[in-house]
Amino acid sequence: MMDVFNWDGTVSAKDFRIGALSFAQKWESLNSAFPPWSWVPCPKHPWLASPEVDIDQNSQTDPGEEETSCSEKEDDIDDATLVQSNHHELHYCDFHIVYSYTFRVPVLYLRAYCSDGRPLLLDEIEKELPACSSKESPETKWAFITQEEHPYLKRPWYKLHPCGTSEFMKLLFLGGDTGQPKLEVVLELYLLSWFSAVGQVVGLRIPCKMLNDRR
Amino acid sequence: MAKEGSGSILQFAPFQSSVDEGFWHRLSSLKLNKFGIDDSPIPISGFFAPCSHPQVSNYLTLLAESLPSDSNEESSIPAFNRGNRNRCSVPGILYNTNTMESFHGLDKQGLLKAEAKKIWEDIHSGKVLEDSAVLSRFLLISFADLKKWSFHYWFAFPALILDPPATLVDLRPASQWFTLEEAESVSTACNEWRNSSVTADVPFILVSVGSDSRAAVRHLKDWETCQDDGQKLLFAFYDPCHLPNNPGWALRNFLAFICARWNLKTVHFLCYRENRGFADLSLSLVGEALITISQGWREHQCVPNAVGWELNKGRKVPRCINLAKSMDPTRLAISAADLNLKLMRWRALPSLNLDILFSIKCLLLGAGTLGCQVARMLMAWGVRKITLVDNGRVAMSNPLRQSLYTLDDCLSGGDFKATAAVRSLQRIFPAVVAEGVVMAIPMPGHPVSSQEENSVLEDCRRLNDLIGSHDVIFLLTDTRESRWLPTLLCANTNKITITAALGFDSFLVMRHGPGPFNSTPDLKVEMPNSLSAVMDNLALTNTDGKQRLGCYFCNDVVAPTDSTSNRTLDQQCTVTRPGLAPIASALAVELLVGILHHPYGIFAEAEIANSNNGGSSELPLGILPHQIRGSLPHFQQMTLVGHSSNSCTACCCTVVSEYRKRGMQFILQAINHPTFLEDLTGLTELMRSANTFQLDWDDEIEDADDECIEL
Repeated sequence: MMDVFNWDGTVSAKDFRIGALSFAQKWESLNSAFPPWSWVPCPKHPWLASPEVDIDQNSQTDPGEEETSCSEKEDDIDDATLVQSNHHELHYCDFHIVYSYTFRVPVLYLRAYCSDGRPLLLDEIEKELPACSSKESPETKWAFITQEEHPYLKRPWYKLHPCGTSEFMKLLFLGGDTGQPKLEVVLELYLLSWFSAVGQVVGLRIPCKMLNDRR
Repeated sequence: MAKEGSGSILQFAPFQSSVDEGFWHRLSSLKLNKFGIDDSPIPISGFFAPCSHPQVSNYLTLLAESLPSDSNEESSIPAFNRGNRNRCSVPGILYNTNTMESFHGLDKQGLLKAEAKKIWEDIHSGKVLEDSAVLSRFLLISFADLKKWSFHYWFAFPALILDPPATLVDLRPASQWFTLEEAESVSTACNEWRNSSVTADVPFILVSVGSDSRAAVRHLKDWETCQDDGQKLLFAFYDPCHLPNNPGWALRNFLAFICARWNLKTVHFLCYRENRGFADLSLSLVGEALITISQGWREHQCVPNAVGWELNKGRKVPRCINLAKSMDPTRLAISAADLNLKLMRWRALPSLNLDILFSIKCLLLGAGTLGCQVARMLMAWGVRKITLVDNGRVAMSNPLRQSLYTLDDCLSGGDFKATAAVRSLQRIFPAVVAEGVVMAIPMPGHPVSSQEENSVLEDCRRLNDLIGSHDVIFLLTDTRESRWLPTLLCANTNKITITAALGFDSFLVMRHGPGPFNSTPDLKVEMPNSLSAVMDNLALTNTDGKQRLGCYFCNDVVAPTDSTSNRTLDQQCTVTRPGLAPIASALAVELLVGILHHPYGIFAEAEIANSNNGGSSELPLGILPHQIRGSLPHFQQMTLVGHSSNSCTACCCTVVSEYRKRGMQFILQAINHPTFLEDLTGLTELMRSANTFQLDWDDEIEDADDECIEL
């Protein structure tokens, strides 16, 4: 059995699956305030598919598309129709956690869109990410958001590029002064720790209850 | 308490639409692969769920699964199942037109009426009792502009108009209408209903509460059995709306159904809403409505009027969404290419200057084995502006070694290489700005007749213009003579010039040094900004006595004794080992990238591999050599330095000033008189003195000296 000092920061597909299911379970039981993660199996593809979360992000930004077109002459509103003048534009964000066979680490995919379905572009998303609230460039040492095809849905999503993941996972576990953890423990907590790091980049926080629960 | 006419008009909050990107992707795919120009209506499904958040309404959503499957598309998504509690399915119909005009020309009133009629028929036929979701049937019109990747669309949620409108007698949160016990029982019953996959997506239901406070949820078709006295009976529906004072749109047709079917005048309804997956009776509303049926409703054949076209931010206009960024293949290719380079910069080379690579203009003289490979390598580095010059046509043997051509380019006598190459580059990367110039390069020592003179001069001028309008020139032709004129012109204007030359099994890749004169009036205009800024600071570099690096022709002159290497170079021979061209081309481009990242650019001094000069070899891309000579038989590569020669026929002071003085006439003279250049530079003298030595040398070296004189 490999000891933790030789560990390269990656996790096997099997361990990912176990970790993901446990993560989803804990999230749901301890974290009912948030939408749940769900495991989506994908039988035809080698990739394991991902849990999915919808998070409402309230933002009073400008409404999106300007439509120029002819207006209709018929009276389409009757007295029984409520016409609302106030229109808050909401942004929605979907998150997927997908296992990468190339890098052997989990990868966070995300996609954001307005309430009418219009997708948000990277610069619009970045404005709302906490990591970019300062004037720093969004490319930090560990976080590099790229647009790539979702391996399962075959459409462009954004992802946090995984090439730094194994390095920071090693640092997370070995960089502390808490002594040498056992490798089994490391793998059990892998997904939770990984999420606590990458979640911060996109504004997802793990509630303390989950971090403290070591069952 | 209820009194005739005492209530206000019941106002419903309209459905709001949300179309997932995946819907448009699939529609485009269907249009391109299946439907073509067929614009018959397409049955689709919409999805909604009860409100799940106190401050946000839910939407009627269209997803990829809303459309029939595209059989060409690999179905990687599991088939949509009924019984999904978050995706209550509602039938709809899509009219997708082929042009913008027909989109605006659709008879919207007529279409709305047709859907209203369907709802009306379903009410009377009893279909609603089987599948109540048909009460919320909807209509979508669209125009998919597949050239611009923009989608114009407009939803309608047909609602049968009650005339006179229903009046609202009472509306309050459900938790205030039920007793505490009743509320608890109702919540439990609803949660059970919502958790069972058999019933989870049935959006119109009956909620009955007995005198024992026990609640039960039932299908609409069980209405008759719920007629016991002492029972409170509510007509409940999944309400996506969150507003505290208004029920959602779905109630409109529900009321229409109730009064048409069961002839009720007073209706107690429950707007069923949830919070985080559980019934929320403080968000849910219970109300009482009064309905008066008009005469017309008894007649089944007379369809009531309907309203329901969705407003776009309060205006009666369609919506539009542009998805070019995520659907246009060219844009996707560009962003993928950019991504690659950015990743490189992020992970390995933080000082990579992508701006300069994207903006630089490269001129490739020669579109053969070297030209094709150099072009591809340049694109891989992010260079977007490439011009290829070649006067030849693609021959049958070319595609094997010249990586931009295929057999098709060889047919019917063969396309011009310059044009075929540009086409090929565009197929590889549509965003490349590539130009092909079909032109021969005038060569010294190849005299021209007086009739041809004008066209040759024209070619010279054209070449001069091309060089002037580009930042980097690659000399990739297959003869030595054809490199002379470009070398001179580049030396005159201090352009970055890179030569690649192939022997049978050896190659030379080198960068020319700067020309003899540092400041030229055109320099700043032509160079990209960063280079010209550097130039400003280096005006004096070569006047302090340091020798500038040599050009391709300087070498020949200063190395009369280095005959073996000269012999293998550039012998007008196009037979080379196939591996050479890709190697040499790749090195040529890497050399360019090195120059572009060197603070002194064209003025950079030469470095040799394995040298110990600490400072400049710390550049992130490594050393910047002057010449690289490689030999395949030895699988070896050397870096060498050659300084400029004062007698160089292409770049020495004498020659360049002569060109500046006399321009095209000078060129013509060089072309027509083989010995002119040697005389001018004093080479003739040099060779004469070298020849006197020859008498003492071996025969082998004598042959080599002869070759040195050739130009």
